[in-house]
Amino acid sequence: MSQRRGGVRGLGSRLYRGETAFDFVGKRWRWFLLSAVIIIVGSISLGVKGLNFGIDFKGGTSWEVVAPHVSVDQARSAVTPLGLGDATITVLGGQTLDVEANVNSGAAAHQAQVKQSVTNELASVAHVQPSQVSINDVGPTWGHEITTKAEYALLAFFLAIAFYITLRFEWKMAVAAIVAVIHDILVTAGIYSLSGLQVTPATVVAFLTILGYSLYDTIVVFDRVQENTKGLASTGRLTYTDMVNLSMNQTLMRSINTSFVALLPILSILIIGAQFLGAKPLQEFGLALFIGLASGAYSSIFIASPLLAMMKEREGRYATIRQRLSARGEAMTLLTPAAAAAARGSGSQQGALVRAGSGGGRGDRSRQAEVDGGAVTGDGGTPHEDGAAAESADGAGRRPAPTPAVRPRPSSNRGRPSAGRSSPRPRKKGKRR
Amino acid sequence: MRRPLLVWAIGTVVVCLGALGAVLGLGYAPALGLDLQGGASVTYKPAHQVPQDQLDQAISIIRNRVDALGVAEPNISREGGNIIIQLPGVKDQQRAIQLVGQTAQLFFRPVMCTAPPYTAPAPGQPAPPAGPPSCSSSAAAGQVDPTLASVPSTPKGSDTSQSNVLLPEINSTTRFVLGPAILNGSIIKNASAAVPQSGGGWQVNFTLTSSGSPKFDQLAQQNYQKQVAIELDGTVQSAPTINAQSFGGQGQITGSFNESSAKNLALILRYGALPVQLNQQTVTTVSPTLGRDSLHAGLVAGLVGLGLVMLYMIAYYRALGVIVVAGLVLTAALLWAIVSYLGHSNGLALDLSGVIGIIVSIGITVDSYVVYFERLKDEIRSGKTIRSSVDRGFRSAFRTVLAADAVSFIGAAILYWLSVGAVRGFAFYLGLSTLLDVIITYSFTRPMVVMVGRSRLFTEARWLGVARGLASTAAPEPDSAPARSRARTPV
Repeated sequence: MSQRRGGVRGLGSRLYRGETAFDFVGKRWRWFLLSAVIIIVGSISLGVKGLNFGIDFKGGTSWEVVAPHVSVDQARSAVTPLGLGDATITVLGGQTLDVEANVNSGAAAHQAQVKQSVTNELASVAHVQPSQVSINDVGPTWGHEITTKAEYALLAFFLAIAFYITLRFEWKMAVAAIVAVIHDILVTAGIYSLSGLQVTPATVVAFLTILGYSLYDTIVVFDRVQENTKGLASTGRLTYTDMVNLSMNQTLMRSINTSFVALLPILSILIIGAQFLGAKPLQEFGLALFIGLASGAYSSIFIASPLLAMMKEREGRYATIRQRLSARGEAMTLLTPAAAAAARGSGSQQGALVRAGSGGGRGDRSRQAEVDGGAVTGDGGTPHEDGAAAESADGAGRRPAPTPAVRPRPSSNRGRPSAGRSSPRPRKKGKRR
Repeated sequence: MRRPLLVWAIGTVVVCLGALGAVLGLGYAPALGLDLQGGASVTYKPAHQVPQDQLDQAISIIRNRVDALGVAEPNISREGGNIIIQLPGVKDQQRAIQLVGQTAQLFFRPVMCTAPPYTAPAPGQPAPPAGPPSCSSSAAAGQVDPTLASVPSTPKGSDTSQSNVLLPEINSTTRFVLGPAILNGSIIKNASAAVPQSGGGWQVNFTLTSSGSPKFDQLAQQNYQKQVAIELDGTVQSAPTINAQSFGGQGQITGSFNESSAKNLALILRYGALPVQLNQQTVTTVSPTLGRDSLHAGLVAGLVGLGLVMLYMIAYYRALGVIVVAGLVLTAALLWAIVSYLGHSNGLALDLSGVIGIIVSIGITVDSYVVYFERLKDEIRSGKTIRSSVDRGFRSAFRTVLAADAVSFIGAAILYWLSVGAVRGFAFYLGLSTLLDVIITYSFTRPMVVMVGRSRLFTEARWLGVARGLASTAAPEPDSAPARSRARTPV
């Protein structure tokens, strides 16, 4: 049992200290496949079952009344004689009675009469005044209007976001980010179709939030990728893929924290607002957000970034780097954020990153700390800047990367703890010292 | 260096809390949407595409009707091509909706006599005679009949075309006793406001339809040299004197018009009552009970969510977590102040989707802190002093936050412009929170973290220690010395 707890805690503290080096890009096909399966299943369901649209989209009337002591059956037997035999009746949070039906047929006067009598009947069942019954009456063309508007808004959203990302970063990032967002839309729509959950305006709001979150996440990772890859082509010691992996590991703790923090209010909406207090929009909203947040976080990490890496590797300059490195058998360099940081701290920003890999483990970092400390005292209290220890670091950086610098492909790594970034041995050694 | 930072931080606190204090002092509170306080809402869509001025005209007619209902804070707005009427807190919801949506007519009625402003009869005085108002025999057409002062105006909805009515003139205290309607607005073919070639003030030119022209000439002959009132929706729009017996299909109305009153009358003549045929799209009524319950649910969910986030931030980031909590409190104070102010000045209502937008924005707001603090950890890991990490970390983190917030903001802005209904409120509050996030991150989080970074209490103390967990990474027990010595080195 201690084994397992130790493992979990180990991962937690490795994350906290930036000692993870997951190969997100390398295992991309596995994630792409998983997403493809979910999307294909969802698409089939969308084609066969479609979505369960609420009255705001297809027209109809809903009545809501606070009636803690009225059961669905009681409500049904009350409204069935009025011609609402096919009404959808639910009780929310154990106290709000919700009746939905489409009475938008027949003469206008007849419709109004039916609606009024349903209102009166529900009021008498719930023992309240008719004015205490909330009514939402939606004409048949309204749904078409809001659907059209939503489509335009979505299109404009994509264009504007693509334009912004292209301007701020580059068009390949825009493509990757938007593919990830479309992925989220398809996954969420598929889940909604499969589960038969009702699509309401609140769901649409939630849906748009998901797009925002998903993009937000992706942008944070891409911003780091862009920073890390500046000047990469000229130094040429790491492939673009390596840098994407490093960037993702560097922002992993942030992604986890952010997703968790975003999840807390949503759980609160879902559990407290919807379940205990029975607010209908809160329930619709919470469910959609819950699905979407998971999909958004997933797509930023497993779809957007690997896709970006694939597209960028096709560019001549990065392809050259990869070929050169793989010719030397140094194809996959997995850096931990901590190792990258240690390298950066010791020398010039980019050039040192490769050398950073060289240590990988503990020994290198403590050595680094000594160098730093020395530099500061040696300079007699001058500001500690990047260049302070640059001489020695750059000198080291210009050497061809020594063998331990390069981490072999994970598949061939088993049983070679000396190169492992997180293997238990070096850490134990560190503690013993 | 220390002073400007302190100024920033204190300035932000003063501005945020000051704004909150100001709106509280003024007694402003967020205007609640009708889904949170109960009320009625109707959406109308024109049956055909109509020009802007017709839609605006329809809205002003509806606004007059709503004002007559005595709803405290009605909100009548145009969203896309739709007209949305929101009547928060209205008591008799069904009647209100009926009255607002009914199609009124433009009538031409002969003026019998003029009445003074209404004054309620003093107690003990005889009540005015019931039934349709009529001028006393002494008052001829166009003259003021003082006995009508105690007769109330004909209520809206009772101004039937067949009976005598007593109606007020628009923007004036004058009232008229009017006979049964002779013609309705359908005889008018077109009308426009213009300045006559001879100079002088504004006038309204009109042309009549081919079937309307003889009818109007008939009216002119019967009422030659008398006033004819143009009535819309229980209000006399104008009461010109007929100065010709034959109009030949066109005429002018002159008088003391200015540009806007002439244009307004022209619009009314052109479009008649409601200038567009409006189809009811949605009707929503929310009972006060349900509204209160939703508000309660939203508030509790939001506060619990916020509390959990704060606890997690403190547990995870220790001293820095306290900055997050302070920042969230300031953001909340500023948001409350802005929402209250806009609710007071622009009638912006906080509805349930807005509450949801705000709850969701907690995540985005906290993310800025997380981006910054994780960046800070990176910098410290790379062996920099806390002091230099704080500055460098902020610069790169702020760049990230700006990029990511820009995406959120663009999304919110587009949704706001292009969507309808619930989505709009959501987009507004999400966009507002995103803006506040950027402001607070720059003006509060940045100076606070720098100041905390300079304090040894916060960086090294056992429980508060920001750098503690990290320093021990870079160098476990024995190696922590260099890290500490760096922290103490003067910069």
